[in-house]
Amino acid sequence: MTQIEMENKQALKPKSQMKSDHKKILKLSPEYTQSSFAWITSLALTIVFLLNCFDFSTKTIKPFAFSAFLAYSLFTLIQIGLTVAIRKDILTSGTIRKTTRKLGFIQLLGVFTGNVFVVSFAFNVIKEKKTPEYMFAVYMVMTQFFIIAISSLNLFKPYVSNTFLLAMTLLVAILVFQLAATLLVAKHVTNQSTKRWMTWIAIPLILTAATGNLFALILGYGLLMKGRSNDLSRIDKWDTMWGKITRNTTATLGLFFIIFMFSISVCSNFTFDYSMAVENNYSALLQPPSISYPLGTDDFGRDLFTRIIFGARISLVVGFISTIIPAVVGGALGAIAGYYGHRTDNIVMRLLDVLYAVPGILLAIAIIAAFGANITNLIIALSVGSIPTYARTMRANVLMVSNYQFVESARALGSSDLSIIFRQVIPNSLAPMIVKATLTIGGAVIATSSLSYLGLGVEPHIPEWGNILKLGSTYLETHSYLAIYPGLAIIALVLSFNFLGDGLRDAMDPKLD
Amino acid sequence: MLKRFLVPIVLVVVLVMSGCVKTKSDVEEGAKPGNDGKKDLSKVQVELLGMSSGESDLNIVRDQLVKNGFDVKLNLQPDYGSFKAQQDAGNYDIALSGWTTVTGNPDYAVRSLFKTGGDYSIMSDSEIDSLIDQAGTETPDEYQATYKKFEERLVFDKAYIVPLYTSYKTQAVNKDILNLDSVRLSKSRSLPWEEIEFNDASKNATDPLVLSQSMSTLTSLDPIKGNDGSINIINTNMHVRLVNLTDDDQITSEGSLSLNHSIAEGNSEYYFLLRDDINFAKVDSKKAVDSGERVGADDVIFTLNRAKDKDSVPDHRTYTLHEHIKDIEVITDLGSLETIKQSGSDETVKAALEKGLGNTINSLVDDKTKANSEEGMYQVVKITTTEPFPQVLNYLAHQSAGIVSKKQVESINTFDVASFDVNKDIPYGDQNTVTEGSQYNNTLYTSGPYILISKNDYEAEFQKNPGYMTGTKHEPKISNVTMRFIKDPDSTLAALRNNEIHLFYAVPETKYDVVESDSKLSLQSIESNAVSYLLFNTKNREVSESEDLRKAILYTINQDDFISFYKGNKTKAFSTLSPIVKTGNELVADPAKAKEFLNKYQETK
Repeated sequence: MTQIEMENKQALKPKSQMKSDHKKILKLSPEYTQSSFAWITSLALTIVFLLNCFDFSTKTIKPFAFSAFLAYSLFTLIQIGLTVAIRKDILTSGTIRKTTRKLGFIQLLGVFTGNVFVVSFAFNVIKEKKTPEYMFAVYMVMTQFFIIAISSLNLFKPYVSNTFLLAMTLLVAILVFQLAATLLVAKHVTNQSTKRWMTWIAIPLILTAATGNLFALILGYGLLMKGRSNDLSRIDKWDTMWGKITRNTTATLGLFFIIFMFSISVCSNFTFDYSMAVENNYSALLQPPSISYPLGTDDFGRDLFTRIIFGARISLVVGFISTIIPAVVGGALGAIAGYYGHRTDNIVMRLLDVLYAVPGILLAIAIIAAFGANITNLIIALSVGSIPTYARTMRANVLMVSNYQFVESARALGSSDLSIIFRQVIPNSLAPMIVKATLTIGGAVIATSSLSYLGLGVEPHIPEWGNILKLGSTYLETHSYLAIYPGLAIIALVLSFNFLGDGLRDAMDPKLD
Repeated sequence: MLKRFLVPIVLVVVLVMSGCVKTKSDVEEGAKPGNDGKKDLSKVQVELLGMSSGESDLNIVRDQLVKNGFDVKLNLQPDYGSFKAQQDAGNYDIALSGWTTVTGNPDYAVRSLFKTGGDYSIMSDSEIDSLIDQAGTETPDEYQATYKKFEERLVFDKAYIVPLYTSYKTQAVNKDILNLDSVRLSKSRSLPWEEIEFNDASKNATDPLVLSQSMSTLTSLDPIKGNDGSINIINTNMHVRLVNLTDDDQITSEGSLSLNHSIAEGNSEYYFLLRDDINFAKVDSKKAVDSGERVGADDVIFTLNRAKDKDSVPDHRTYTLHEHIKDIEVITDLGSLETIKQSGSDETVKAALEKGLGNTINSLVDDKTKANSEEGMYQVVKITTTEPFPQVLNYLAHQSAGIVSKKQVESINTFDVASFDVNKDIPYGDQNTVTEGSQYNNTLYTSGPYILISKNDYEAEFQKNPGYMTGTKHEPKISNVTMRFIKDPDSTLAALRNNEIHLFYAVPETKYDVVESDSKLSLQSIESNAVSYLLFNTKNREVSESEDLRKAILYTINQDDFISFYKGNKTKAFSTLSPIVKTGNELVADPAKAKEFLNKYQETK
């Protein structure tokens, strides 16, 4: 159908139907939806900066917030223009023109303003055929860049940690290497395969994941698999699953934020000075945010920014471990109950029902009150309460999976029960567990913070988000930033886990295919 | 292309950066060994015990100790009960402690805390004991030097305690509702409710004055059976005393049961001329009524005899305050007063007691119902102390010396003290008798301006004593008082700003800004007798054995940090005496000395 014919056809339709047709066409273009998402979030951030750049009490303009507002409004305007251009392209020709895609390179500059939404869109739009590897590479570079940017804020402090220079040099070198790798990935990796020599890049890439940048690990693994493996179905499965996740903007941004937080918790060991987070400084009490104290200082003169960075570590560690423990314990119990059925099932599940009847947070409070407040007890307290829910999920899956033919054939071949459970049943029941675990990590992060907030978590001087928030709550009216920033950090991390969990569910749930 | 330039670029960046960036070791070069929060086995570990309400102080102490090379283990307890349990079990090296001298006299600030066998004392040092006893018998001019010696022994020589700071006493008042001039703030004395009035005087009789308190469990409404924050203010306003304290802790008869008082030569005999215009109040069908029974000398004698007698009631908590009282008697021989001279003056005791009276003393009566000031017929009570002890008057001004009715208390406390059964016997002032519910049976007889009608977990309701100094300026202005129980200071402040309560006593330092920025609130502040200090464990710990270790900790503590943390709303302290006696001692932090003592300690180990 030529373009004229199409236009003619459209002209015959009533206006309302044309509109809904447009909507359908635009909905099919991932770039268009991403672009809309980017300008809306970017505009929201611009408004936040606008509201912040004017000091209402002294009637003056804050230079820093104002310049941030200007930069953000510039990129928001370009983004709106791009959205309009994409819309026009799609409605007229069905695809996005090369010239429009080229405009994405301008938006890449948004990385210097820290605008993740615009940048992630730009990477999406400049490449027409996107492989999961390309997306990993892009996010890997972004993570690395933001780590370096955040760490270099320490340069404005009176002094930096002893390992700062060395660590920063290494981080920059890794960034350069990763940039080069990204260019190669963009050029040489397709959906089915890659050149064999690309696997030589994969190994150093995996090594750079030691900075906590897990995107490098996933990318390296993907490259290795595509370069070495001939198992097309495996590659296809990989591409389908990650393709679904990377096409989901919110899930990818969630994953990005989680990996970013993880990476900064690793790198902060070397680029941040822990003493600034725990040692009191009476000459800098309750300082408002400034260049040397990016988020201000608390009532003991400790740098809030450093405290939040170090707090991420505890939140992540407690969140992960207190999810993994019940997932493993509950998963094993659920699998046994589901596979053997009858009496075993009854005994295991009824005992777990007893545990299920005790409210989780109350159980945690009781455990901590009895055994004292420290990180180990905190993890145990949070783990115990969520064992039954994992057992239930696992049991339901195992009940379903153990009736499949491949299980029966394994049994016919004489495999032992244990080998059937661990080789056939569990791997095929894992998907819902992973989704559930991702969704509950957020809950665990909140529970950790809540317990600290109640004074039942770690010691008060240890930087932990709940602790920081608790201290901030005393100053809600006079120094509100003390509560806002840790609050935002908790919200962002929990939201990220929830988005990622939703994305994983969409990608893994066979019912949604 | 890129790769060719990469190495030189990185090198240049590193060189430039290392030229202008200071690292931690550059900054700390030559200074003390850095602390990166990591544990060092050679470090001395100290366990710091405290309540979560003192979290900020504990953090400052922890920080200072850590910076001076100690390894600190925090033992943070949520409330006083668990704190006390940990302290009694000895699970600490240093405990964060606080003391408020509610009587305003120096003896109380040291006797029960540091003397061997004192109520709260965990130490035993004969030199300290003798200095406390010596100072007790001395007049203010003399005891200053004695207390200075005592402080030096306590802190410098032996380092039994580490002083931290003295607090201010603050209260926030809603000045749109209350007449600000009628709300007093005194150094030691509890807030007198009877003087408070509303801006709109017509509301005094109708609207309740709403106050707040954090503790809702009242220890006991029998004055001698409690001495803590839950009842101090309540009992002070429910019972009149022989004397009162002024706002700056001087003894006065103003607003007390006595019209005048006098100290006889020798500082062992004390005379009080009693008023005849106070009747006990009682509660009848949830209304305060005049019982018709006058507060007189027999009640005073009964009250003070039971106050000093350890076995007068089960769980007596205040007898140590009154251990200096030897005899209490009513004087009927007017002639004897004319012969005795007043201490430090040529005036007779009679002249001193008559000062400012409308009528001279014509005769003294034994029977309180016969006393009549219009006709010059008065009651005089004489108290004799075991030794010359002028500070006894401060104890008589304390709430535990509040006058109770002989008749009423004797009719309620019919049980035998030795075989008291907490499940069966209900002592006078038991809080259950005033708590709403099946056990409610209000038997209170109060001599003060107000009487507690009933309470529940949320509030307590008081009404004015209709027989309390009627027609004088001390007659309670506001008829009804409600005491809200609000546990958390943040909620209390919110309640104050919402006009739910009218006055908030003890505003936390972090909330001063908020109070000051609210136009309807007024923040009153006065130096108080509250001192915070660190108390060393005296049993089975390194700190209890080693004076050097204690001194190392003593010189580690820097009081200036506390003052800057509290934005100047604290002052320096040297011991619990600091707000009362100006001894001139000052503790100056000295990291070098601390290091020296720490090294000494480690060598001897």
